[in-house]
Amino acid sequence: MPYRVILVESDKSIRDNLSNTLKQSEDFDLLSTYEEANSALSQSGVYNPNLFLVDIDNLDNLRMLPAFVDIFPNAIILGTMTDWNANIGYRAQKAGIAGSVIKPFQPKEIIDSIKMYKKRGQFKPSPIITFFSPKGRAGRTTLAALLALSVAKKSNESVALIDADLQFGDLPIFFDLEPRHTVVDAVHDVKLLTPLAFVPYFHEVTKNLYLLSSPDRPEYAELVDAAGLVDVVRMAGHVFRYLFIDLPAGFNPLSIAISNFATINFVVAMINTGLEVAHMKRSLDLFGEQHHTNEHPIFTRVNPCNDEQKAKLEAQIAHPITAIFPNEYNLVSVANSGRILYGLPQNTLMMRTIDELADKIIAGEL
Amino acid sequence: MPSERNSIIISIFSTSSGNGKTITAINLAAGLAKEGYAVCLMDLDLQFGDVVDYLKLEPKYTIADVQRQIESKREDFDVKDYLTEYEHEGLKFSVMAPPETVWGAYRIDVTVVENIINQLKWFDFVILDLNAMFSALNLAMLDISTIINYIGIIDFLPSIKNFKVGYDTLIRFEYEESKIRLIENRSNSQKLIKGDDVERLVGEKFSHRLPNDFPAVNKSVNSGMPLMFAAPDSALTKSYKELARSYTNRQENVSPPVEQVEAPKANIFSRVLGMLFN
Repeated sequence: MPYRVILVESDKSIRDNLSNTLKQSEDFDLLSTYEEANSALSQSGVYNPNLFLVDIDNLDNLRMLPAFVDIFPNAIILGTMTDWNANIGYRAQKAGIAGSVIKPFQPKEIIDSIKMYKKRGQFKPSPIITFFSPKGRAGRTTLAALLALSVAKKSNESVALIDADLQFGDLPIFFDLEPRHTVVDAVHDVKLLTPLAFVPYFHEVTKNLYLLSSPDRPEYAELVDAAGLVDVVRMAGHVFRYLFIDLPAGFNPLSIAISNFATINFVVAMINTGLEVAHMKRSLDLFGEQHHTNEHPIFTRVNPCNDEQKAKLEAQIAHPITAIFPNEYNLVSVANSGRILYGLPQNTLMMRTIDELADKIIAGEL
Repeated sequence: MPSERNSIIISIFSTSSGNGKTITAINLAAGLAKEGYAVCLMDLDLQFGDVVDYLKLEPKYTIADVQRQIESKREDFDVKDYLTEYEHEGLKFSVMAPPETVWGAYRIDVTVVENIINQLKWFDFVILDLNAMFSALNLAMLDISTIINYIGIIDFLPSIKNFKVGYDTLIRFEYEESKIRLIENRSNSQKLIKGDDVERLVGEKFSHRLPNDFPAVNKSVNSGMPLMFAAPDSALTKSYKELARSYTNRQENVSPPVEQVEAPKANIFSRVLGMLFN
């Protein structure tokens, strides 16, 4: 069954060009074209369309997207842009449409984009979830990997994991894989890419979970500037339903830029000598100075791992704690041997806490 | 006025946190001071440095104050007044404390740190406790170091990967191999990977192996004293004494490397190690 398409395009030559493209394809049945969204909205109903391509370079059209979603709840609505614009892409998804495509396009790109956005999951903007730690060896990367896995499994929506620990990223080892593309390539190319062309930069780790790796040489980190990484994160948010970002330890231009941008910022410290509590407090103070409100402290290797201990730690840092994790020796050997997909110690307090936190992320409760 | 001389600069570097850099820096400083040298320990893990807490010091000034003085070009300023003294049972060394806040740390300028080290010339040794990253500051410090102690705990696969990646990077950055000393920490703890395997992987021998003694380190941190006071009989304390002496030309009979505990066979490791070799 071909898609029954309504095309909304303000520019006449582009409108003619796209109409011809769609007419030549067996996958599409072009029902009507409109110069602006208003007329399309009032008249298209008679055609019973199931796909709208709406020019969102035109901001009036962009503002009418919620009305399209409302009136045609069973149709797929794609925004069309001449150049990728992250702000407009975000506003379009916030209005409830599937996503956007860059014009001009080939018929196959529309088909592939629809598949991609359906696979992505609910038509909503992505939460951006970062993992920050004052120092390394906090369990930060392990936590990012386990939570991303759990959310991918439970939500059945697409999850991207971005290894932004550019000098010493460990995620490829955790998943025992050798990716072809890295964050460096993505940052280098992002200005030239479309959302659809962006997906192959991610390595499919398992069902619904995609990894963008760190480079294999520390000096390549130099090639990634904070602004470029923000561009990558924003495009990734458009094509994946959840973004998990493993940040480098400590405050640097990159970790600051990305955490400024995050929906949820997990601040992770591992209890060892006890000074970690002070490090946590120093970090929260700095985030506080920047008027953040989305910091979620997490302590790992808490022993005993109970409510009483949690309350004690909360008093010490003067801030509510989102989760505490016990030590899990088995997990070390699992991560050590790249078996994180297969050998997780299920039915442990560690994994139960991960799953509970994943539920909260999915429910938007954090 | 202190006499003009160039200090020996020893940096403690690693590519993972929690590898024992700070404990090593403190005990190296204490060991050299014990041998009678004038020693300054600079905590250059500016954001989250632990030297001051490990020694229970209460610094009046930090490196941030020094930066302020240098930037305002005060002529009567002497860096000496901005150091904090550690003193116990006649043993003395100086500490340059890191800024009090993370934001203060964020603002420290590399050229100012270089300038400060240039002003510390009356010290025989300046020990630099770095953090685990190839940052502009760390690279500048490695550049001026006489010796780089590159330290690793090799119990966790990502740490081993990062140990090799870090060493390869140092070589690619053309630091002389003779300047880099590989140190294995917790060399005798129970683990799946042997130090020899890591030597084979990295292509370089460990120049020193520190035995594991977690209780001793705990005692040291809790009491705010270097190991020679907190745990004088620990094998780790002796090992640090040897390490300090290896930089003084006063080496006596250096004991042979610590024996490895027999590790169980683990095929998965050889496979991943094999991957890393390529």
